[in-house]
Amino acid sequence: MTKTLWILLAGAMAAFAQQGFDFKSLDKLGANATESANITLDGNTLKLAAAFLSDKDVKDIVTKLKGVYIRSFEFAKPGQYKESDLAPLRAYLKSPQWMKIVDVKEAEETSEIWLRPLATGELGGLAIISAETKEVSIVFIEGTLRMSDIGKLSGNLGIPDIDLPKDGKKSGKKE
Amino acid sequence: MSIEDDLRSALRREPAPGGFGARVLAKTVKTEATPRRPLVFALAAALAAAAVIPTGVYEYRERQRGIEARDQLVQALAITRVQLQQARGKIRQVTKRRL
Repeated sequence: MTKTLWILLAGAMAAFAQQGFDFKSLDKLGANATESANITLDGNTLKLAAAFLSDKDVKDIVTKLKGVYIRSFEFAKPGQYKESDLAPLRAYLKSPQWMKIVDVKEAEETSEIWLRPLATGELGGLAIISAETKEVSIVFIEGTLRMSDIGKLSGNLGIPDIDLPKDGKKSGKKE
Repeated sequence: MSIEDDLRSALRREPAPGGFGARVLAKTVKTEATPRRPLVFALAAALAAAAVIPTGVYEYRERQRGIEARDQLVQALAITRVQLQQARGKIRQVTKRRL
C-alpha cells in the first residue's frame, strides 16, 4: 500500500515537473521597468509564424518548437527588481530534467544557460537568465532542439540585428 | 413604278394576321415576369458574397496574425541570439582572466 502511494506520488511529481513554467509568476519582475519586451509564442502561434518564414534553417528549427517566451526588462536605476522575483523560474529549472551548462557570476551580473537534455540526445528546451543591475532578460524555449540549432540561433540565420530598448550595451554586433 | 408608288405599297394598311393580338398579349404576360429576374440575380449575388466575404476576411485576418507572429518570433530569436552571444562573451572574459 505504502509502495503504491510512493509510486503515485513519484508519478504526480514527474507529471508536475513536465508541466510548462507559468510565466505569470514573473509578472512582478517587470513592474518597475522603463522598457520591456514581452513575447509569448505558443505552439500554434509558432506554426502559424513558421508558415511566413523564408529562411529554411529557421523554419526547420521553429517547426519543432512548442513555445518561445521572452521577458526582457530595463530599469531606470539599480534595485528596481529583486533577485527573488526570479526565484520561481530558478526553482522550476532546478528540477532534474534541466541542467545548468553556463553559470557566470561577475560583480552584479549573472548569466545562466540551462538545457533540458532528452534521452534521444536532443534537447527538450533552452533557458537563459541574464541579470544585471539595470536589466534582466529571460529566454525560455520549449520543444525539440539539437545542439547545432543553438549554434545556429547564436549565429545570424538571416535574423536582422535588433535595437533592443537598451542603452546600447545589447547589440548583436558586440563581440 | 415611281418611288412614291413603292412607298405607298410598302406602307399600305394591312389587317393583322390571325392570332396576332393573342400573341402580343402572351408576350406581355412574359415580360411582366422578367422584372423578377434581376431580383433573383441580386439575391444570388448577395448569398454568394455572404459566403465568400467572411472566408476572405478570415483568410486576411489569419495572414495578418501570421505576419505578426513571424515578426514577434524574429524579435524573440534576435533576443535569444544576443543573450547567447553575451553569455559566450562573458565566458571568454572569465576564462581569459583565469588564464
